[in-house]
Amino acid sequence: MTTTSTTSSSRKLTIARAMAEATAHEMRKDPSVFVMGEDVGPLGGVFGNTRGLHDEFGSERVRDTPISETAFIGAAVGAASDGMRPIVELMFVDFFGVCMDAIYNMMAKNTYFAGGNVKVPMVLMTSTGGGYSDGGQHSQCLYATFAHLPGMKVVVPSNAYDAKGLMTAAIRDDNPVVFMYHKSLQGMGWLGTEKGATVATPEESYTVEIGKAAVARQGRDLTLVSLGAGVHHCLRAAKTLGEEGVDVEVVDLRSLVPLDRETVRASVAKTGRLIVVDEDYHSYGVSGEIIASVVEHDTTCLKAAPRRVAYPDIPIPFAPTMEQWALPNADKIVDAFHQMMSN
Amino acid sequence: MQPTNDQRLWMYRQMVTSRHLEERIETLYMEGKTPVFNMAKGPIPGEMHLSNGQEPCAVGVCAHLNADDVVVATHRPHHIAVAKGVDLNAMVAEIFGKATGLSGGRGGHMHLFDAAVNFSCSGIIGESLGPAAGAALSRKMQGKPGVAVAFLGEGAANQGAFHEVLNLAAVWQLPVVFIIEDNAWGISVAKQASTAVLRNDMRAEAYGMPGTHVADNDVEGVFAAAGEAIARARDGQGPTLIEIETSRLAGHFMGDSEDYRPEGEKAGLKGRDPIPRYRAALLEAGLIDAASDADLVDKAHERVEAAIRFAQDSDFLPPEAALETVFV
Amino acid sequence: MSTAITVPEDLWEGDNEGVITAWLVEEGSQVNQGDLVAEVMVEKAQYEIEAPAAGTLTITKQEDEVVAKGTTIASLDA
Repeated sequence: MTTTSTTSSSRKLTIARAMAEATAHEMRKDPSVFVMGEDVGPLGGVFGNTRGLHDEFGSERVRDTPISETAFIGAAVGAASDGMRPIVELMFVDFFGVCMDAIYNMMAKNTYFAGGNVKVPMVLMTSTGGGYSDGGQHSQCLYATFAHLPGMKVVVPSNAYDAKGLMTAAIRDDNPVVFMYHKSLQGMGWLGTEKGATVATPEESYTVEIGKAAVARQGRDLTLVSLGAGVHHCLRAAKTLGEEGVDVEVVDLRSLVPLDRETVRASVAKTGRLIVVDEDYHSYGVSGEIIASVVEHDTTCLKAAPRRVAYPDIPIPFAPTMEQWALPNADKIVDAFHQMMSN
Repeated sequence: MQPTNDQRLWMYRQMVTSRHLEERIETLYMEGKTPVFNMAKGPIPGEMHLSNGQEPCAVGVCAHLNADDVVVATHRPHHIAVAKGVDLNAMVAEIFGKATGLSGGRGGHMHLFDAAVNFSCSGIIGESLGPAAGAALSRKMQGKPGVAVAFLGEGAANQGAFHEVLNLAAVWQLPVVFIIEDNAWGISVAKQASTAVLRNDMRAEAYGMPGTHVADNDVEGVFAAAGEAIARARDGQGPTLIEIETSRLAGHFMGDSEDYRPEGEKAGLKGRDPIPRYRAALLEAGLIDAASDADLVDKAHERVEAAIRFAQDSDFLPPEAALETVFV
Repeated sequence: MSTAITVPEDLWEGDNEGVITAWLVEEGSQVNQGDLVAEVMVEKAQYEIEAPAAGTLTITKQEDEVVAKGTTIASLDA
């Protein structure tokens, strides 16, 4: 396969390459790991995250599927319960509607129904996010939809280092893991690319613990909590606010299930101010969950009412003017902080 | 079933119109996207699935439909929308995301809705069949005339919805026709690598309905097969499944390098482009001559150009309009 | 000795220009011959640029810069 082989300690990877590298490493080591999905074979995945795998492992272990998500995700559940470790791809998370039963009623529940006696060690990779005018059936994040339903772990990397470590951890996990990667972070230039997502990534195998948030930037005055692409909006906002003398801490959740509430609470305990940034829909989502996690624990730690910068509760419009207006960005985060301070 | 000469000319004109629209969109789509291909840039951002080559499927079916009949199309909807009589100005404005578009720019090219001619589409594979069956059920329950047609790709025939809706439509004898546009590729995956049967019309038998196959992207072959199926539906004799062997001449989406195609396949398809073939047939039949053809083509092109000017001259809605029309 | 990293003439078909979408090695780092150093995108297709020799990398064409076949994008000093 096309490995990104370099001895340089400063080798960088895109998230797409990081996912493929982690997968290839696990496939070399463990014959039970295999990949299924639409266009994951010779094409290497529409979003590049299975690039090179078909060349190295062939059609038996890197399987292009019919457009039959119910079939191949259901099949992954069965294979996973029978000793394999399938990695399946749902090309756009927006497509979950055609196959959700396999995901939330079987993948996520079989272990529980079996009293822990059946394992479902599979990874469901799926792309998220908009910002490039792909319309309302190809631009959603739906983080909360998956995180809400019990029985599946959910990870959302913001950079290649975490993507590789989380992918390795997800494949090795004996539980189902939903791996949600944001299209604007993949390193596919045609989707635009967030430069901050392409970072130094070790060639050797390693894991990033599922369920551990990262403090992407330390600060004393304000906590910004986000995930995926939102982390990069937060880092830009932190820079702007830094120029105003505001010292901002940015928490990158990395995992939604399990959710690292302790890291969030510790940060807010220090700063006293919380803004949650989420590209998923505003209501009933990640932003509400994070705020609840803080205030149900301690109502005294906040110096101001918490705020959220999230996607409004509307389908995602096609027209770039409307879509860009609706999306979270660094300016909106800065504004939210100013409003917080003026109240 | 043979088309009348008027129907022949109508089908040819719609094909020429649709193809010109796609060729103009192709150029306009690339504005702002060279040399750096960033989907978000240019006057038409986002994904773009062009229908070049698949025009016979649209015109051969829609020649039998009127505005009251229902059509539900796919993520590759332009040719079908043109043939169904969707307002061309509003459709092109929608593709540009403008205020004068069918939905004011909220939908975009995969989400074209024109209630005036009962046209809609969905970007999710296999999701055209259910709504078409439902519209047919509605007509039946209300005792209203009209049939429904669902278009889908050959890849969609492997979705659960395909199998569920075929059974439902047959068991309830709904006035609906299912049209499979078999362009042989689901993005990079070939039909024979994803489909257990040679032809999807063979699957009709399993659901208790007639199945018909149209070979070689043949305009009048589509016309004949669709005509029979639609007549049966109108006559209360239930659904039909038709698979049409067609060709995807412009890639799955704009920017597709199509490296997965066997060497020479694309050139072969272009050599069998259905529009020059139909033009030759009409010339041969004496239905058009060089002068009348040029006139027809000019008028079709001008109609497209006018729609593009209309779209370009239109404004965007104010961004806050994004919040409107979630509910009525 | 300095070796130029250029966009190979046979990297893609046709004479379209491309763009550097990612440098996969930091400026100033030591690379080995054959290491993957950069990605170039032409329309939606991504191509890889490998180091033709070992050496210390000096980048001359940054990410998002447009390149053609034959364009020198970096040098390697051994």
